[in-house]
Amino acid sequence: MNLQACLLLSSGLFCVGLYGLLTRRNAIGILLSIEVMANAANLNFVAFSRYSGAGYGQVFALFVLALTVAEVAVGLALVMALFRSHRDALVELASAFRH
Amino acid sequence: MMSTASWALMALFAPAAAALILAVVAPLRRRLIFSVGISLLGVITSLASAIMVVVGYAANLVPVELTVPWLTSAGRPFLDAGVHIDGISAPMLVVVAFVALCVQIFSIGYLDDEKAPSLGRYFAYQSLFLFSMQLLVLAPNLMQLFFGWEMVGATSYLLIGYWYAKPSAARAAVKAFWITKLADMGLLMGLILLVQNTGGFSWTAHLEPGIATAITLLLFVAVMGKSAQFPLHIWLPDAMEGPTPVSALLHAATMVAAGVFLVVRADPLFAQAPDTRMFMAYLGAGSALFAGLLALVQTDLKRVLAYSTCSQLGYMLAGIGAGSATAGFFHLTTHAFFKALLFLAAGAIIHAVGSNELSRMGGLAKKMPMTAFVFILGSLSLAGVPGLAGFFSKDLILETVVEQQLWLPAVALMLTAFLTALYMGRVILLAFFGPRVSEGHPHDPHFAMALPLLLLAIPSLAVGYFGHWIAGLSGNEYSFHITTTGIVASSLGLAGFGFSWVIWRKHPAEEPAPMRALAAFAKRAWVDNAYRFIYRRGLLLVASWAAWVDRYIVDALINACGALFIGGAGRARRIQTGNVRDYLFAVSLGALCLTAWGLWR
Repeated sequence: MNLQACLLLSSGLFCVGLYGLLTRRNAIGILLSIEVMANAANLNFVAFSRYSGAGYGQVFALFVLALTVAEVAVGLALVMALFRSHRDALVELASAFRH
Repeated sequence: MMSTASWALMALFAPAAAALILAVVAPLRRRLIFSVGISLLGVITSLASAIMVVVGYAANLVPVELTVPWLTSAGRPFLDAGVHIDGISAPMLVVVAFVALCVQIFSIGYLDDEKAPSLGRYFAYQSLFLFSMQLLVLAPNLMQLFFGWEMVGATSYLLIGYWYAKPSAARAAVKAFWITKLADMGLLMGLILLVQNTGGFSWTAHLEPGIATAITLLLFVAVMGKSAQFPLHIWLPDAMEGPTPVSALLHAATMVAAGVFLVVRADPLFAQAPDTRMFMAYLGAGSALFAGLLALVQTDLKRVLAYSTCSQLGYMLAGIGAGSATAGFFHLTTHAFFKALLFLAAGAIIHAVGSNELSRMGGLAKKMPMTAFVFILGSLSLAGVPGLAGFFSKDLILETVVEQQLWLPAVALMLTAFLTALYMGRVILLAFFGPRVSEGHPHDPHFAMALPLLLLAIPSLAVGYFGHWIAGLSGNEYSFHITTTGIVASSLGLAGFGFSWVIWRKHPAEEPAPMRALAAFAKRAWVDNAYRFIYRRGLLLVASWAAWVDRYIVDALINACGALFIGGAGRARRIQTGNVRDYLFAVSLGALCLTAWGLWR
């Protein structure tokens, strides 16, 4: 398995995530899609690190993991709040700030 | 031993302190004894200090100046404030303080039926006026003079409107304020021109001929307003609505003379503008004649004196216009005394009779012998009867005008001398002689009103003999000698009295025909109507054009800008849908575009 295959895999993952992000109505689905995209980027870090021989990329991948955990914690709290007030988690319900 | 400058500061600030205390400490103002006491203390201190200033100055005749830098411009001193003592300001200081003292003492008697708090207000105004006038007189530059000038205008407004509940008084106060303010714009513009061309406010600056004419003409506009010269004289007769002592102090002796004082003060500037001087001579003489004619047909005692003041101020300006500031200043000094005397005596009559109308008086000489005596003395002095104060100063003006061969003004002034005697003779005959008209028991005033009359009678009699001394203070020569001009003028004056004796000796029920025609002419109030016409047809029309431009062009532009932004923003905010997925789509699209741009580059 060479670098190119890894990059192809990660861009595939990214596109899957992006598709999910644009098509999902449920907030949880959107959060999951974002996770997929973040991990696609992570995969790039790991792959470049592996093939260039330097270890920095893997350290960055760990950082990104920690970051996404925090992000998911905030995101899920928002989803809970949305669900409480609307009995549903569709993102278009959270539109109180439109013009 | 205090220096001359310190005495001048004392003369300046004693009335200011009195005014400040009376204005700020209300309990003192409400008690008659305190308000009168503090005010009199201020004016007496001012007078005593002013006398010390003259004594100190006369000892060596060197002008003294004490100034502090006040405003700076670009790091350089731009404007000084302080006192300047020379042969003009020193005697003027005494004249102002002396007349103010007489007037304040007189006011105690004249306004005895006023309530104490209201009198406290009156004396606070009086002190404030004295301070403003001394500020003007002592000014070391024209800008400080301008400050004093505006302050006397404001106090004049306050004092004319002292009986503010009376609509005519309130209207007269506003009219006086507006007309003089209109004229003051001339002074302000003149000063701006002066500072642009010389960088300072000095009255000794050297100017190019054209600029000098422009500046002095602008200054003269202000003089015309303050000194009530045609056609800006219309406020002065109306200002007689104020209490009579106020008329005596402000509108006869001192404030209206401030205009003449400015011309005397700025004489070095006026000397560089012969055209302005010529204009001044002609306008002064014309005003003197015109106001003299109007004085002849007034039925109100104070209005006769008011027009007479216009007329005499015209005399002074004609004299200065003919080139002799000394003559104008000399007449200013003598006029201050005898006109204040006349006004205060008129006040005593009005107080006794209870009316301003000449028709309500008559036969008062028997009832009020002392008042009659000083009034006649003042009238003779005003008419220039030989030996009295007015004779010497008037003679000097006429001689100057004749010497300069200004024949038209000379003739006008000669006629005015005749008219002056005629109208004063009329007033004397109608008020003091003939049958009694009014009921009641008019009598000579008591001490507080009699003392100022006697105090003022002395200089009205004698100040003419000090002409050489007054001229000497500012380094000029003056000695009296009998000339043809003097003989002609004084015989014209005596003829005027003779004529008045012939016409009004028997108190005719109806004035002679030329007088009636003149009265009808005066009643038409041509000048007032001209102002009204200019205001309605000119100023309001232009103002309505300006309002149209302002509303439909200036405002429209501003409103169009506003409408553009409000409309545009209303459309632009539709893209804020509030839907998270729309934003996500926008973010993705943006990222895609950035990627495409990166690849393409």
